[in-house]
Amino acid sequence: MIPPSPFLCVITDDAFCPVTIAELALKGGAAIIQLRHKSASGSQLFSWAVEISKLCQKYRGLCIINDRVDIAMASGADGVHLGQKDMPADIARKLLGKKRIIGVSASSLEEALQAEKDGADYIGFGHIYPTYSKEKGFPPLGPETLQNTAALLSLPIIAIGGINIENAASLISCGAAGVAVISAVSRTDEPLMAARELVSAIKRKYS
Amino acid sequence: MVHNKLPRTPLPRIYLISSGQENHNKETSLLRNLNLIPGSLCCMVQIREKQLNAKRLLTLALKAREIGLPEGTRLLVNERVDIALAARLDGVHLPEKSCFPYQLRPLAPNMIFGCSVHSQESALIAEKSGADYLLFGPIFDTPSKRIYGTPQGLEQLGKLCRATTLPIFAIGGITPENGALCMAEGAYGIAGLSIFQDTFRFVKTLEQFYHIVTK
Repeated sequence: MIPPSPFLCVITDDAFCPVTIAELALKGGAAIIQLRHKSASGSQLFSWAVEISKLCQKYRGLCIINDRVDIAMASGADGVHLGQKDMPADIARKLLGKKRIIGVSASSLEEALQAEKDGADYIGFGHIYPTYSKEKGFPPLGPETLQNTAALLSLPIIAIGGINIENAASLISCGAAGVAVISAVSRTDEPLMAARELVSAIKRKYS
Repeated sequence: MVHNKLPRTPLPRIYLISSGQENHNKETSLLRNLNLIPGSLCCMVQIREKQLNAKRLLTLALKAREIGLPEGTRLLVNERVDIALAARLDGVHLPEKSCFPYQLRPLAPNMIFGCSVHSQESALIAEKSGADYLLFGPIFDTPSKRIYGTPQGLEQLGKLCRATTLPIFAIGGITPENGALCMAEGAYGIAGLSIFQDTFRFVKTLEQFYHIVTK
């Protein structure tokens, strides 16, 4: 199940050991860890997925694997996150069954509604603000688009893209169930503290 | 879990690997060549298109699966078990740095899992971890495999064939001329990538190889 709102999702960063980032993020209160590494080999991804899944059990988080439905199935992870260029969610659902979580990246209402129809459990929506963590071919969507989309969508939305301690809470107010970050946790001196501060920022606003 | 169940006939002895140059803007050489395979001639076919994202790879695999291939043909994809399952392929070929067959077989108990190996040591590891066949090479010098270092040569092929009971496909610079030498060393079959790219000579090349492996 998707964690109760509001929650923090931390996506691993290609430049750092995903297991280290995951443990620090979980200790800091992250509810979802997404293992994302575009250049790692299959065996490397598999062993990271197994280790992060174990950490997630220990800290009561969820381990989600980017793109690789097979690695998610084989490692016992909690689910997958699929981009628009990955396997369509309806096909992934047939392979994964009902219990595993499927998240889908969307950057428009159309994509989000399609993912909802295809059986996704949550939508990763963005990028909301400018971001350098991933290359983007379009301008940031902004919080208003997030708010409009959240109003029309029954699935939980995880806002992503350029999210930091200053803007995180406002996105929960816009209707996001959670926020996802890469660099705001990994590219800091103290990832654990960074995660903890993000979690307390979104929870403070919410209560 | 659904997937294509084929009768347990022996694996074909000719192994085709796609070019790695597929894109979806034009008719692709993989699909074109699959349509050309004569009806009596079954092959192993590996879709190996690492440049494609999962969505496009799945589309290509589904199109390949739709083609009426000769009975006994095994259609495989490189590494991605999820794509193989979704497109009802017959198996998965695992590069040396991917997961081991035993880690993936629970997802697809009836599929074929093959492994690329570049040394006797990794061949024995692959055998122990449940591979159904091995792809060993490069046997001869070939531009596409030069990154794997100097060719293994026929002697290493022979050594490996005697050290394992698994079917070994020889790959790397195999031609209709030297293919028979690989078979003489104990190879189960022969595999090729660039030699099958020439659509004009595709069927002729295939028939020449078929002649060698059935001798």
